[in-house]
Amino acid sequence: MAGRRLERASTNAIAVRLSEWTRAPSNVLLHADLGTTPEPGIVDWLAALQHSGHAVTWSGSPPAVAMSSEALADPRGSVRIDVAAPSGTSVTLRDSASVVDSVRVNTLGATIVTPLAVGTLVGDAGGQRFSAPSPASARVRAIVVIGNASWEGKFIASSLEERGWPVIARFHVAPGVDVTEGTIAPLDTSRVAAIIAVDTTIQSLGGAVERFVRSGGGLVLAGPAGLATNVASLDAGSLGARTRPSVLPADSIGLGTTGFYPVTALAQDGVVLDRRSAGVAVAARRVGAGRVLQIGYDDSWRWRMTGGPGSEIAYRDWWSRVVAAVAYLPAAAPAVLNGSAAAAPLAHLIDRLGPARPIAAENIPRPPLDRRLLLTIIMILLLTEWSSRRLRGLR
Amino acid sequence: MGYRPVTSEFVFATAQYESGDWDSAPLLPANIIDTIARYTEIAVAPTGVIVPLSDDRMLRYPLLYLTGHLPVRFSEAERRNVKRFVERGGMLFVDDHNHDIDGTFHKTATEEIARTIAPLAELPNDHPLFSAFFKFDGPPTTSHELNGWGDNLVHKRLLAVQRGGRIAVLFSNKDYSSEWNYHPESKRFLTVDNTRFAVNLVVYALTA
Repeated sequence: MAGRRLERASTNAIAVRLSEWTRAPSNVLLHADLGTTPEPGIVDWLAALQHSGHAVTWSGSPPAVAMSSEALADPRGSVRIDVAAPSGTSVTLRDSASVVDSVRVNTLGATIVTPLAVGTLVGDAGGQRFSAPSPASARVRAIVVIGNASWEGKFIASSLEERGWPVIARFHVAPGVDVTEGTIAPLDTSRVAAIIAVDTTIQSLGGAVERFVRSGGGLVLAGPAGLATNVASLDAGSLGARTRPSVLPADSIGLGTTGFYPVTALAQDGVVLDRRSAGVAVAARRVGAGRVLQIGYDDSWRWRMTGGPGSEIAYRDWWSRVVAAVAYLPAAAPAVLNGSAAAAPLAHLIDRLGPARPIAAENIPRPPLDRRLLLTIIMILLLTEWSSRRLRGLR
Repeated sequence: MGYRPVTSEFVFATAQYESGDWDSAPLLPANIIDTIARYTEIAVAPTGVIVPLSDDRMLRYPLLYLTGHLPVRFSEAERRNVKRFVERGGMLFVDDHNHDIDGTFHKTATEEIARTIAPLAELPNDHPLFSAFFKFDGPPTTSHELNGWGDNLVHKRLLAVQRGGRIAVLFSNKDYSSEWNYHPESKRFLTVDNTRFAVNLVVYALTA
């Protein structure tokens, strides 16, 4: 059976062949040999040819890469970029302004947090380009810090303020006397992103806390705050007896050095985030549309004041990450990709053209007979005939 | 040194420095602790501590009280720790026991603070410190300011170094060290408790 005419092109040549292929008769096979996935526009063009009746196939092993980006709940407008690529691949990330970072992907992918991303994010993994739009910065809402007047509440509030979070603080000082900074009520997600309770004074907010969390707000129960009765249904677990390791006079104090309340009897949907030898120090769970983080540490301020060099920065970053993990973020409008590469190029290619298919054997054109070989055969035949005639008389 | 095991209570700490008479008001800590316990529900340790400024453990007490009559010259270790203390969010309360702006304590302490941290500036009398618990129109006057010693002035303002909108160093020429240096039980003889401003100091330090 005679094969159909075949036109084939590699990744680099395909762009310039598209016009020609578009004018080709529909019985011509069009085949792309791909080392990397072409730009989405080329893939879409090929898909259009396929839909218009051309037989379009592709083969090769383009790398499976993908990227997504998400605005974080961070007053500095941080963006998290998640990258998937074959393990060991080096990926360079750029935005519309400059190179953002480069990273080597491990088996679980790679994540980069950058304080600023402009325009379109483009990744390059060994020549395979892929992209994602930079998300719009999230507008952060206030963080409520509530507790008795103490170093713990004071340093949490001041660290978040130093990081740029708007903070509403309420510290109980004496019967009927609270020191307040801002007003807590009404407690809803239009004003407040998360509540941090450092002790059981959160009971004064009653059932408003649960309503707030179920509607999407975040809640951090630090230290003994997990004992408050009005948040019992929100706890990620129960609190065990506080550990009290001995601290030597010369010890540098870090997070948990002076002990913590272990989170025990984890809720069915509770997730352990930090486990120490004495028990679970941090656990989390989802409640309704909100998130709850239960932290056993009750004197984290000592880490800031008495830790090693840079501890005040580490402390500030840690608390900012804690808040970001639970803070309410309104759903952002989907950002429009305005780049020349897909977020997941191989998935886009398969979605548009189907899986890779090698060319059918009958469609592979046989190589034309070599003219020199043909000439040689003719010469041998002529020589044979001439010899036959010449040698006939010798018998 | 009067260190205690690590607890979550507020601990009143007196700063010990090498150059002067840091212990010139020995009754003051107990009196202030009594005042805090009397007016507030702040968990306060029943006794205070004395912490050398040259020892890293001074960082365990984010409010430090420093006083004296004699010249103040920090050693290198003291200077390094005080700088770190302030940068990490501590509050240093310095009171001139001489209540004398021409005195050696005032001159040397203000120089040392300027050298170690930043120059002092006048604190406005409507600063939140003066309404943190009790309401004051400014720093309350002491009975010692016009006692014939010192500069015989009523000092209308306190001085401060502020960082990020918070007081990092508070400097007083009011001589609260004399005013509050008595046994707590003697408060019953006073018509108005003259240590109430100390509550503002502690509440401000713990909440601002």
